[in-house]
Amino acid sequence: MTPLPIMNTPASHPSVSTPELRHLRLGFVSLTDAAPPVVAKTLEFGHRYGLTLELCRQPSWAGIRDKLLCGEIDAAHALYGLVYGVQLGIGGPHADMAVLMVLNRNGQAITLSPRLADLIAAGHRVKDAFATLGRPPVLAQTFPTGTHAMWLYYWLAANGVHPLADVKSVVLPPPDMAAALASGELDGFCAGEPWHAVAESLGVGRVVTYTSEVWPDHPEKVLACRRDFATRHPHTARALVATMLEACRWLDEDPRHRASAAKWLAADDVTGVAPERIAPRLLGDTGGTRARPIAFFDHGDVNYPRPSDGRWFISQYRRWGLYDGDARDDAAIADAVNQTSLYRDAAASLGIAVPDDDATPVARLCDGAVWPAA
Amino acid sequence: MPLHSPPTRLRVLLVTDTAKPIGELRDALARLGYDMLSEVAAPGALPRTVEEQRPDVVIIDTDSPSRDTLEQLAVMNEHAPRPVLMFSSDPDQQRIRDAVRAGVSAYLVEGLDAGRLAPILEVALARFSHEAQLRKRLADAETELANRKVIDDAKRLLMERRGLPEQEAYALLRRHAMDHGMKIVDVARQFLRLAQR
Repeated sequence: MTPLPIMNTPASHPSVSTPELRHLRLGFVSLTDAAPPVVAKTLEFGHRYGLTLELCRQPSWAGIRDKLLCGEIDAAHALYGLVYGVQLGIGGPHADMAVLMVLNRNGQAITLSPRLADLIAAGHRVKDAFATLGRPPVLAQTFPTGTHAMWLYYWLAANGVHPLADVKSVVLPPPDMAAALASGELDGFCAGEPWHAVAESLGVGRVVTYTSEVWPDHPEKVLACRRDFATRHPHTARALVATMLEACRWLDEDPRHRASAAKWLAADDVTGVAPERIAPRLLGDTGGTRARPIAFFDHGDVNYPRPSDGRWFISQYRRWGLYDGDARDDAAIADAVNQTSLYRDAAASLGIAVPDDDATPVARLCDGAVWPAA
Repeated sequence: MPLHSPPTRLRVLLVTDTAKPIGELRDALARLGYDMLSEVAAPGALPRTVEEQRPDVVIIDTDSPSRDTLEQLAVMNEHAPRPVLMFSSDPDQQRIRDAVRAGVSAYLVEGLDAGRLAPILEVALARFSHEAQLRKRLADAETELANRKVIDDAKRLLMERRGLPEQEAYALLRRHAMDHGMKIVDVARQFLRLAQR
């Protein structure tokens, strides 16, 4: 068997052809879309690249950020928006960050209390359903600059509700969402799975929209690290991308693989949620709607870290008053954060096609807007 | 008489929603002359407490599930305390970084001198056992090495007994793990156990 090309890349770095670091600490949060790191560890996809992964579950996204910044973890499964929030120093520390690859698209949702969901299902507008509360709705998401905040805000705005003026916007840990809905503290939330399936199984909420209905095939979680980690350890970073690409490919290869992954994700040290709550949506069940299922690979189309995706998050921060930097700098920021050439090398070593930057598919979002804008 | 009497009494909020003994800080900080607000023990209670009690400093376990709730307040509310920067050449900030390593995170209102946080963190650090954490790191690293050895041993045995090249031996272990929904290290361990009989 010939050695893998990635191990033989002519070194631009002083004659190092194996990873500079062999043991990597990888942060993740209790979610169904933590499947790539969990699969990579369970099947030890890192070994053939000389890497041993140690998974470090974090109880909060702030924990992911702080531990990346102080070096307690090397890389992490992270909200796309978290990386850009730290890059721009919104509401917290600033640091130069790197998106190594995208880990999944779709797979998130917005759940509302059964009463609100019924009104909307009966044809009432979202705005009118909220008006029946007689107070601003309390809606939760998972991190101020995160993907869920941006999906929720986008969806509300598209439905004529101002996400900041007309709504009380709070953050709760996803495992607490169902209980908060049940107690009436909360009217709805946007988060990842399996927390919608959990809320539905308890009868305390129902999905009113999947995030793929907000932005079809939107990017969601990324493999993130500090930028200096990627520049100081380029072989390690490439080996890690190759490892995660294998995990993503494996997840999309065969539905039975996803069924196995659901069991691993159910473990107490991952989500602690029964596999029956995880498997259906991981396997693509979106309740008969036209929503697109979660995808981890799709021939590598999922994983390329397109700078235009990064620019979308910056544009949304500007829209909601979280960031007032000059829009002419957005492209340079995204080009610096998203490690496209490192990704290309890793993908090429596995024979995975890399989409052309010039051929970025144009998506039509739920309000009719297109991205990237012409 | 308090030891470090702050110029104005800092209003300190403790979030005590994990198993760590962060609550024990309360008396120690009160003795130092800080104004200790009522503790918060659940994420849902944080927004109202921060709004009504306006703390200058929030001390929270790094591993608290309420961290993100506090982050939202920092972004949405100009009076809410912000997470402190951990990367700075300021020598006082080194203490903050140490604090995060030890499991204490701090949030400060804007304009508050980080130096005034130092004695608070000093006390917090003293209450958290560095050593316990180090021991756990060591144990984790040892388990990891042991697991790797088990997989290597199983692979070598497969190569010997079945004359397989290394990649195929590994692929065999992996396939078995996939088919049975097991971790590869458990497959390796099972295989070695069977081989010893």
